[in-house]
Amino acid sequence: MVRYFRHPMFITFAVFLILPAFIMRLGGMTLAIEVMIWVIFVMGFNILLGYTGLPSFGHGLFFGTGAYIFGLIQQNIIAGTWIPILGSMLFCGMIAGIVGLFLARKRGIYFALLTIALTQMFFFIAFLWDGVTGGENGLMGIERYPLTLFGLFSIPIEGILSYYYFVFVILMVSLILLWKIVHSPLGSVLYATKQNEVRAKYLGYNAVLYKWIALVISGIFPGLAGALYAMLMHGAFANPMHWTKSGDAVMMVLVGGGLNNFFGPILGAAIFIALRDIISSITENWYLFYGLLIVFIILFLPEGILGYFRVGHASGREQVVEEV
Amino acid sequence: MAEFYSQLFNGLVLGLLFGVIALGFMLILGVMEVINFTHGALFAIGAYFALTLQPYLGYWASLIIAPLVVGIIGLFIEWSAVRRVYGKDPLFGLLMTLGMAMAFEEIIRIFWGKIGYSIAAPKFVAGPIDLGFIWYSKYRLFMAALALVLIGLVWIFLEKTPYGAIIKAGVSDSEMVLALGKNLRRIRTVVFGLGAALAGIAGVIAGPMWSLKPTMGWEVLMPAFVIVVIGGIGSFWGALIGGLIVGLSKSLSILVWPRLSDLSMYLIMAIVLVARPRGLMGQKSLLEQ
Repeated sequence: MVRYFRHPMFITFAVFLILPAFIMRLGGMTLAIEVMIWVIFVMGFNILLGYTGLPSFGHGLFFGTGAYIFGLIQQNIIAGTWIPILGSMLFCGMIAGIVGLFLARKRGIYFALLTIALTQMFFFIAFLWDGVTGGENGLMGIERYPLTLFGLFSIPIEGILSYYYFVFVILMVSLILLWKIVHSPLGSVLYATKQNEVRAKYLGYNAVLYKWIALVISGIFPGLAGALYAMLMHGAFANPMHWTKSGDAVMMVLVGGGLNNFFGPILGAAIFIALRDIISSITENWYLFYGLLIVFIILFLPEGILGYFRVGHASGREQVVEEV
Repeated sequence: MAEFYSQLFNGLVLGLLFGVIALGFMLILGVMEVINFTHGALFAIGAYFALTLQPYLGYWASLIIAPLVVGIIGLFIEWSAVRRVYGKDPLFGLLMTLGMAMAFEEIIRIFWGKIGYSIAAPKFVAGPIDLGFIWYSKYRLFMAALALVLIGLVWIFLEKTPYGAIIKAGVSDSEMVLALGKNLRRIRTVVFGLGAALAGIAGVIAGPMWSLKPTMGWEVLMPAFVIVVIGGIGSFWGALIGGLIVGLSKSLSILVWPRLSDLSMYLIMAIVLVARPRGLMGQKSLLEQ
């Protein structure tokens, strides 16, 4: 039993479960919810970045799209919570699938370049198509309707505390799902593709197909996070689709635990959002510190904070480094 | 019709300028395998240096000195940080230069302030000229000429000098260059400095046409990405053609629907990607592996 309590997953859940008791009065609830949403986003994204080794700089696309789709379904089709959320995830998975047709054959630096350019294209589409997305003002008036199940019960989530626990439950489900994916045969193939794509191919795995699957999975979770974010902000905006936001996601992965750490993004998202909040309240030039911090981390902490303390590296897997 | 001609000319001028910027960006990408996010910031710094130097040195001297300083900054960036990420995960070089670009933007904001500036065109090319069918800005024509000279110089350097041959070999297979006994370390430093200087001189040239603000670097960085994707990595002519396509699409789309101007180059990129995944002039490259 004890080993379950020491598991990072259990610790994560425990911390987020009791967190409101400490920050409710300080007024940090919105920030804490934002952290949980980013954790869902970044950990789903890490299936692609960390476990499949494809450096995407464009996952803000799914975050932003998820928010828009949530709002559009809620306002035009069904005024609920579950259907719009599922719709967001489905739509984002579809976009990832379509974009993936072009991207799955690419690798490395060219992959990164393409994702930046593509996400910027969708950013401008969202920005200019103001009939649907609200353009510069965003899509406003997104509601947090009570949760219902076949009319059996109804739980309001309009209050900040109840919304916190709603996101918390979704966070738990997402993390357990992602943990299962990473530790499934599929996860092993993805990791093998990252280590040596040619060898994975010779073992009979269709590497391109698996990379495509990783892309789709990594599109769905940011879509979910985007929907939750739209509920938090009561609106959907083009800003998260800007490629710099995707850069933030990459940074959260790196700051936390480098590219081979399942739990790194949790720490990364928490530190990133806390730092952003603190530094930007002290100085106008937050980007100066942020920029220098990035350089510092790349130079001296490429394995992130958890990697520095040798926690949870590669989820206990042997890391095979191929020196070129 | 006059509006069409003037937008056509604007597009060509802008395209040649983008070509210069994309060439520097692509050289660094090819030889170092690093997506250099500082390229836009170096462009901005070039323009700001020109702003500060021109009152004291005049146009021509600052056209030479500002890019030199930017080139030295480039050498310093490569020497101090970027060389430590060669051969590592491509993400590292990308993030590191992104961090530097953010820092540079703030440094510009600290030294020159938040407000925008504009640089006056030098006296000998101020004002418009009558081309017969339209009146057109003399400075923009002068810009196009300067950009053409620069592109020509880069071509001569790459095609006609032994150094250029080594760099081209480095773009297609840097390990082989190392195996042949060339000093890859020094080549990389030089290429980074050269690319930075190209960005800087583009900034100086663009100064009188652009409005100077701390974020101006990002306005040329994205076109540089798109140009490289459209033209194909590692192709000199690809960068030039891609630059012209992006420049023309940006200005001609203003005639059709002004708001399309920002989006048009991405749409063209998407079409090119569907038709030719490696870009118009791209060949199979090591960067894909």
